[in-house]
Amino acid sequence: MIDIVFIVLAFFAVSGGLGMILFAQPIYSALSLILTILALAGIFALLSAPFLFMVQIILYAGAIITLLLFIIMFLNIRNDSLPEEPHKISTIVVGAILLIPFNLLILKSFNTLPSKPMHILGQDFGSISDFGMELFRGWLVPFELISMLLLAALVGAVVLARKDKIDG
Amino acid sequence: MADSILSYITLAMILFSIGFLGVISRKNIFIVYMSIELMLNSVNLIFVSMGRYYESIQPQVIALMIIAIAAAEAAVFLSLIVVMYRRKRTLNSDLFTSLSQKDSNE
Amino acid sequence: MSNFLLAWIVLIPLLSAVSLGLMYLYSIKISKISNIVFTTIGISAPFLSFFIGLSFFLQMIGNDEIFVYKAYTWLGVTGYDIDMGFMADKLSIFMVLFISFVGGLIHIYASGYMRDDKGYGKFFFYFNLFVASMLLLVLADSPIIMFIGWEGVGLCSYFLISYYYEDGANIEAGNKAFIANRVGDFGFIIGLITIFYYAGANGFDYINLEANIASVSPTILTFIGFSLFVGAIGKSAQIPLFVWLPDAMAGPTPVSALIHAATMVTAGVYMVARFHFLYDLIPNVGLFIAYIGAFSALFAAIIATKQTDIKKILAYSTMSQLGYMFIAVGLGGYSVGIFHVFTHAFFKALLFMGAGAVIVALHHEQNIFKMGGMKNKTPLVFFTMLIATLAITGIPPFAGFFSKDEILLTAFSSGQYILWIVGVVTAVLTAYYMFRMMFVVFFGKNYKEDRTIHFIPKSMTMPLVVLAIGSILAGLIGIPEVLGGHNIVGEWFVNWKHDSLHVTHNTELILMGVNILAAFIGIFIAYKKFYMYDMKEVPKFSGLVWNKFYIDEVYDTFIIQKIKQLSVFISYKIDINFIDKIVMGLSRSFIRTGQYVSRMQNANTRFYAFTMLVGISAISTYLIIVIR
Repeated sequence: MIDIVFIVLAFFAVSGGLGMILFAQPIYSALSLILTILALAGIFALLSAPFLFMVQIILYAGAIITLLLFIIMFLNIRNDSLPEEPHKISTIVVGAILLIPFNLLILKSFNTLPSKPMHILGQDFGSISDFGMELFRGWLVPFELISMLLLAALVGAVVLARKDKIDG
Repeated sequence: MADSILSYITLAMILFSIGFLGVISRKNIFIVYMSIELMLNSVNLIFVSMGRYYESIQPQVIALMIIAIAAAEAAVFLSLIVVMYRRKRTLNSDLFTSLSQKDSNE
Repeated sequence: MSNFLLAWIVLIPLLSAVSLGLMYLYSIKISKISNIVFTTIGISAPFLSFFIGLSFFLQMIGNDEIFVYKAYTWLGVTGYDIDMGFMADKLSIFMVLFISFVGGLIHIYASGYMRDDKGYGKFFFYFNLFVASMLLLVLADSPIIMFIGWEGVGLCSYFLISYYYEDGANIEAGNKAFIANRVGDFGFIIGLITIFYYAGANGFDYINLEANIASVSPTILTFIGFSLFVGAIGKSAQIPLFVWLPDAMAGPTPVSALIHAATMVTAGVYMVARFHFLYDLIPNVGLFIAYIGAFSALFAAIIATKQTDIKKILAYSTMSQLGYMFIAVGLGGYSVGIFHVFTHAFFKALLFMGAGAVIVALHHEQNIFKMGGMKNKTPLVFFTMLIATLAITGIPPFAGFFSKDEILLTAFSSGQYILWIVGVVTAVLTAYYMFRMMFVVFFGKNYKEDRTIHFIPKSMTMPLVVLAIGSILAGLIGIPEVLGGHNIVGEWFVNWKHDSLHVTHNTELILMGVNILAAFIGIFIAYKKFYMYDMKEVPKFSGLVWNKFYIDEVYDTFIIQKIKQLSVFISYKIDINFIDKIVMGLSRSFIRTGQYVSRMQNANTRFYAFTMLVGISAISTYLIIVIR
């Protein structure tokens, strides 16, 4: 049963990724990306990470991709202002071939791990309280740093996107 | 199939490869950005599956950090795209070279 | 260490030359030095060498002593040393004596001739350097030290011929002299190398070579003898390398007197005499030398009969007399040849200096048909030149008679009748052209009667007198027994006389008579044609003889043009097309590679990512294969 869920979710993830890189229009690519993200959220749930499952949907799909869609629509892109990409397919094929050894290497190294059962754990593993305890105990400093990073990004984004006084 | 860690790793590597291919083969800056996000996501997947494998919650925390960083990156990246589009009226990432040595050192 | 003085014979002129050169540079850059200084230093040097040589000479009378002095090791390889060594034996000390004495007289003459020249100090620098090189040549104890002197005299000859460097023709004459000498030197070097290889096992000086020479095969000896003689052909202006000698008259007259009459050109004869131990073993090469000498003598005499430039007549006369010397040494009569070198030095130097006096007197006129009647205008010059001319034509009791007679006697008694006939015919021609010159220049009416005569200083006339006395007396040391004298010269070199002469006294006397008759025939013909030459117009000449048998033109077409074409071929075809292509092509390929590689820095981030992918892929492949 879990297998079927996994396979379906994996299928959606991969097809979403493929669609993302193959569509010419950015909107379609963004929508394919949403599909991938949601599939990945499901897989997180399969991996006993309920909090991350929720965070993925709220943050990633709900905030980041939404922002992206907003910018795409904001720029009012017409069909003819899209860049021409003559060698899209050939580059993908060549790149795919070149990526095979790398993947094989990684998989080979992961193969050395002894196999363990990966069913869903209960006992509040990955729940919010568990997560929070770990976050605020062992990872407090990174948490603070991330907040500063977000502040910097916020300020930077505001400054950058300001209209210039000259051509205002 | 969901029982072995290898399937999750395989999926993550496929997604990573797709993301990488997107970076090198597409010129549209949005697609490049989305491919980068996809790569980040695949890394998240690896972390979470490692967390499940070793039954430790720490990789999940790391994954959360990664998501936060992706959010910050999204903000800055997209505002940069807005600025560049205003300047150059094009979305071709090959033409965004004003930081390079030959185009900025006159 | 009395032998140490031997080095001073060479060292004094050398040091004098160096100091003169430095003083000359000082005088043109900083402040002027008066000519007296240059004159004193320049003239005293050869005479000092003369006195030192005299002291050695006196020690050698009556015994067979050889003085050797090794100054320092010049080239030292383990077990084999070549030293800067000096060797004085009878031959070299004899040469030293007359080289330094006649050279000193010519220095005095030059101090008068070059009085008004602005490069006076420079001239004496070259002159002394030449004397030093010539003395080194004759005093060397090994062929390679002799070669240093050999090259040195060639170099100084080049300097002095091109002395009036403002005129391009003089530079060309100097170049011609040096290049023709160089061709000869090439043969000489080949000979040196061969003799070193085959006979130089114990040491490369004459004494050791003489000891080892008998063990070398005759073919090699012939080759060595021939190659060394090629050097002599160049240095002593024989056929075929004589073309530089007439052109060398472009230099000042003292140069012609010293270098091309008395000393440098005789270096070839000295060399053959010095290598007597080699030439004794290869009489065929000796015969070849004699034939070259004979035909050079005849050839030069023929050309001289039609020349109009007074110095060129004397130049061809020198070549002719050198031919005689080579006849002698080629046939083994080393003492005879050197005797003729000795007498020739006196009268030829006198002839050149007298000619120089006449040229100066007539404001640098050199065409004899524009002279005439100088007998009354410059009587001293006339008288001394007459003595020298009588000497060269072989009239007894003047010097040339005895030496020339001995040469022809050597030829006759060796059975080489062809050489003897050539020698006699050349003697006729010699008498003819020399007296032609004398009659045209000194007798008859002057070309321009009202021409003023330029003053000739005492410094120029005094050496003429001394040399005239020498021309008379020099023969006396070689009077053969048949006439009642002791052949001092012959006995002096008695170690080396190749064959004693096997002719009867009567034959000797008859041959002497033939020589005198030949001389008188020549004088008579010249008298008939030129005695009271009426100088109405300057005759124009043309024809084969006048154009010196077109030898220069032949050389130019066949040799010089071919070499020029070869140089053009190499410089264009090979250098530009071939070598430049390779070298420039190499550099261009580097540039192209750089341009190609620089295209990788295109500021295209995706391209960089692709490159990274390629790298990762390569590393992963490697790791997969290596890590099992």
